[in-house]
Amino acid sequence: MNSPSPVTVSSPAGSIYDLGYRHYEGPRRGRVWAMWSLFVESFRGAWGFGRPMSAKAAPFILAGLYALPALFQLAFASVIVQEMSSGSETQLMTYRSYFGMFYFLVIFFCVAQAPELVCRDQRYHVLPLYFTRSLSRVEYALARLASLAAALFLLLMVPCVALFIGDILMKPDTFKAIGDELPKALPALPANALIAAGLSALSLTVSSFSSRRAYSAIALVAYVLLAEAVPSAISAIGHNSDWTWTDNLFALTPVTSLIGASDWFFGQVLDPREFAGSLTADAYVVVALMSVVIFTLILLLRYRRLPA
Amino acid sequence: MALIEASGLTKHYGQVKALEKLDLTIEPGIIGLVGANGAGKSTLLKILLGILTPTSGRASVLGMDTVRETRGIRQVVGYMPEHDCLPPDVGATEFVTHMARISGLPRTAARERTAEVLRHVGLYEERYRQMGGYSTGMKQRVKLAQALVHDPKVLLLDEPTNGLDPSGREEMLDLIKRTGTEFGITVVVASHLLGEIEQVCNYLLAIDAGHLLSAAPISHFTQRTPVLAIEVEEGADQLVAALAAKGARARQDGSRVLVAIESDALYDVVRDAVADLALPLVRMQQERGRLEDLFRDTAPEQVAR
Repeated sequence: MNSPSPVTVSSPAGSIYDLGYRHYEGPRRGRVWAMWSLFVESFRGAWGFGRPMSAKAAPFILAGLYALPALFQLAFASVIVQEMSSGSETQLMTYRSYFGMFYFLVIFFCVAQAPELVCRDQRYHVLPLYFTRSLSRVEYALARLASLAAALFLLLMVPCVALFIGDILMKPDTFKAIGDELPKALPALPANALIAAGLSALSLTVSSFSSRRAYSAIALVAYVLLAEAVPSAISAIGHNSDWTWTDNLFALTPVTSLIGASDWFFGQVLDPREFAGSLTADAYVVVALMSVVIFTLILLLRYRRLPA
Repeated sequence: MALIEASGLTKHYGQVKALEKLDLTIEPGIIGLVGANGAGKSTLLKILLGILTPTSGRASVLGMDTVRETRGIRQVVGYMPEHDCLPPDVGATEFVTHMARISGLPRTAARERTAEVLRHVGLYEERYRQMGGYSTGMKQRVKLAQALVHDPKVLLLDEPTNGLDPSGREEMLDLIKRTGTEFGITVVVASHLLGEIEQVCNYLLAIDAGHLLSAAPISHFTQRTPVLAIEVEEGADQLVAALAAKGARARQDGSRVLVAIESDALYDVVRDAVADLALPLVRMQQERGRLEDLFRDTAPEQVAR
């Protein structure tokens, strides 16, 4: 016991500082705290905090790119005001149209960060450490899902806030402008929440089926591309051939159906000329909520079967 | 109330019978769980943790049922898995703090306990570095630290010395011993290495193919047994016959002769027998029963009985 190895703190040199082992007498919190802790760690992880610098690159670059157009509109607010006062038709980006224009960056964010949240623990066998603590499999999966949804919600809201500020700055009377703009801007909150829920459930579930980030990312890209392209193509063919059963296939697409659902909050409907279907915004909302539920159930089943 | 109890514990994976009607009682201490690979050690630990459900039978930890009161058990049990379980891209401090919170410790307590536990396992300035760059010895220490961080009453260690070099092995065993004796935490060490168990444990459970072979204090196995081993270069069979003729109970074991020591007079009997036969005697020694004997078909004690 007198060897100078760091383990034997009973060696003379170590004993000066060694307070001995002290038992923990303080409070022990339950599953809600455990879930909250995992949620926080996971949310930070989704943005690369607590990880090396290289892990921050993807989420921040993508978030920056996604917010960039809105920031431009904000930066050039005064120029736009002059143009509009001189009578030119300036098409402004709106809260409603923004996601539809730049959704691919949000998808990239999912592809980059959803595997980060679920593949790591499988790949490095961290799951047994969670499942032997006060956290059940269901609670683990739900905490991870909530954190990705929160990260996506933040990502989606940044440009909306920029648009909001820009719109206010374009008006001469700031207080009146806030009053005018707020009702137009508020639907962006539930709309983006629904988009965040839909995309996080989809991407986390697909990612959880592999322990390798790369495979998960490829699977996710493949799923989004195919699920987006196949119904669109079939319904386009159907449109030209005067079939009727193909009209509402757009409900099966992951992104378009979410855009359709988010329109509900703005009191609008997907343009039926562009999208062959005759679905109402209500129907898209139902479809979006159903997809959240179904993907979440698949996720929970997946975690039920994972070995610990 | 015993610390850990199991009765009729059975676990089948399809056709494979991992545990078969296991009955055991574990009292506080450092308990060695020995068995060959695949004997059912990990399965038993996982049932005690509540991550596996037994096919039949029941088990309890501190009086809590492993199936119905899993959450209660997990607050007072720490688990160190056999395999790697550390993500490479975070530091030990960050990881162990996170695990402490998942175990229910509030933020500040989690940070304090992490610092304390990492110091106990002997991880110092390197604890902020990413764990991907750690040596096996350091990783094993972090694995032990995360099992200790919430101050469990029972620590379940699955092959804690896996992959360690001899000096790392000694340090880990020393650490386990201190945890059990100084910290007052009951430690269950699963291992296939008897030598290690002999070194740190004070109680031994031997399982083989899902059955309990034996359960007893370690001193029971390592007591000196009254058996004399005589090594001769030739004529072992003659010696056995000569000793038997003089009323001693002797048995041949290869080139050795094992004799039950029933009285001090036996030494004289042996001396005379060897001298009479003019056998080339190499050595005589009293046999010390060792744990290996548990897993051998011909244990020296058998002669004595």
